[in-house]
Amino acid sequence: MIACLSIPGFELKAALRARPSLSTRPAALAPGAGEEPLLGPVTAAAEAAGVLPRMRLGEALATCPELVLVEADPAAAERAWEEIVRALEDAGFSVEPAALGVAYFETRGVERLYGGLEPALRRALAATGAQWDARIGAAARRFAALAAASVAKPGNVMLVREQDVAQFLAPLPLTLLPLERRQYDELEALGVRQLGQLAGLPGGAVAERLGPDGRRAWGLARGGAAARVRGRRPPAELVESLEFPEAVGNELTLRRALGALVETALARPERRDRFVRKVALGARLVSTGSGAGGSWRRTLTLREPSADADRIRVALAPRLAELPAPVLELRLELVELTEPVGRQLELLAAGAEDRTRLREGLRQVRASTGSGSVCTVMEVAPWSRIPETRALFVPRDD
Amino acid sequence: MVADTRDSRALRTAGRLNEPRPARVEANFDGTPSQVNHVAVALLREEWRVVDRWWTEEPVLRRYFELVLETGENTVVFHDGAGGRWYTQRGA
Repeated sequence: MIACLSIPGFELKAALRARPSLSTRPAALAPGAGEEPLLGPVTAAAEAAGVLPRMRLGEALATCPELVLVEADPAAAERAWEEIVRALEDAGFSVEPAALGVAYFETRGVERLYGGLEPALRRALAATGAQWDARIGAAARRFAALAAASVAKPGNVMLVREQDVAQFLAPLPLTLLPLERRQYDELEALGVRQLGQLAGLPGGAVAERLGPDGRRAWGLARGGAAARVRGRRPPAELVESLEFPEAVGNELTLRRALGALVETALARPERRDRFVRKVALGARLVSTGSGAGGSWRRTLTLREPSADADRIRVALAPRLAELPAPVLELRLELVELTEPVGRQLELLAAGAEDRTRLREGLRQVRASTGSGSVCTVMEVAPWSRIPETRALFVPRDD
Repeated sequence: MVADTRDSRALRTAGRLNEPRPARVEANFDGTPSQVNHVAVALLREEWRVVDRWWTEEPVLRRYFELVLETGENTVVFHDGAGGRWYTQRGA
């Protein structure tokens, strides 16, 4: 069976860990800077007051004036999610994280260990922790497992047997499908509101109307493919951070701090000569007046694994320009390390053979057509408005 | 004796890229080309003027036309305001 663990509103719950008193009050995740002013997930108290996720900010504040806006804390959310995934891995599950708050895992390998499917899923819930209100859906196919998790009650498990998949999916809303807003609207205008209605349509007609996305959604509405779960490789734990005495917004200072962090992280003995494949750069930001300051985090996969401090620094430095506010703490994580393998160096410089062949070809042309027949174009005044004065052709007899 | 460090070979033979070539052009009453080297013009795509070096003895005063000929060929011609002749030119 494939199981899907789901924690709705995960980013809000992660942000509220620093301010637990807000969990019982109307609160919502504030929209990010520069984004459309739509609310993120909301607390149960906010929902009871009429505030819904993705509601416009103005409308939400008019509906519930005491609504507290919580600034997103992506670094804290990623750390919390990493803790959960590790707890599941420690319990023996091979986990494939799909997004923050959603992960898939295969139960077959651990069912005998825990004495059956349901005890194994209960163990996974226990490993996650009660404070997250996680729920688990299990089915033979991924989409059916995700759908089951979306309707399961907090702290509960829902199993869908293969023969019941179509019947189970039929009354569920279309919003479970990965479609764009306009595609939902188009389907709704056609009177299609439930997965069963979509699944009942001819696949070709859906593809013609909604394109490849629609065809994919149609396939999912019929249960989806039985894709395998590919457990992740647990990330490395090599973190270096630098706390500043006061908030720093100067890019030059941040670049120097980054350079120091890269060198310190690479010098750590735990790296054991391994190359870095994936790095994450995070920052704790200065408070903007509405309570605790947020955080910022960017991950980067290097094109080629490297242990060269300069290359890593050059790859990460442009990300510093994306920082939205002055920084109190800069943090570098070596997320994924590769085993050291020998790298084959080139005996001859790249392209040397091509150049030799080109030179030989030119020599033959020159021999047959005479001196001065092979020329190089040399730009002399590329800015000129008179075309014939921009470049010269100069003979090459070498 | 000090050797001449100039590359005499390059100086001798270096040429200008995209030198104008004389063309036989029939023009309409408004000065736009109707035929270039006996081929009719199918489309006039663009027209512009270049006025330069007016402070020298050899001022440049050109009216350029980017054309599509009936054979499908794209070409650029200009009318030299100083000499009164027509030329084709690449790289314009």
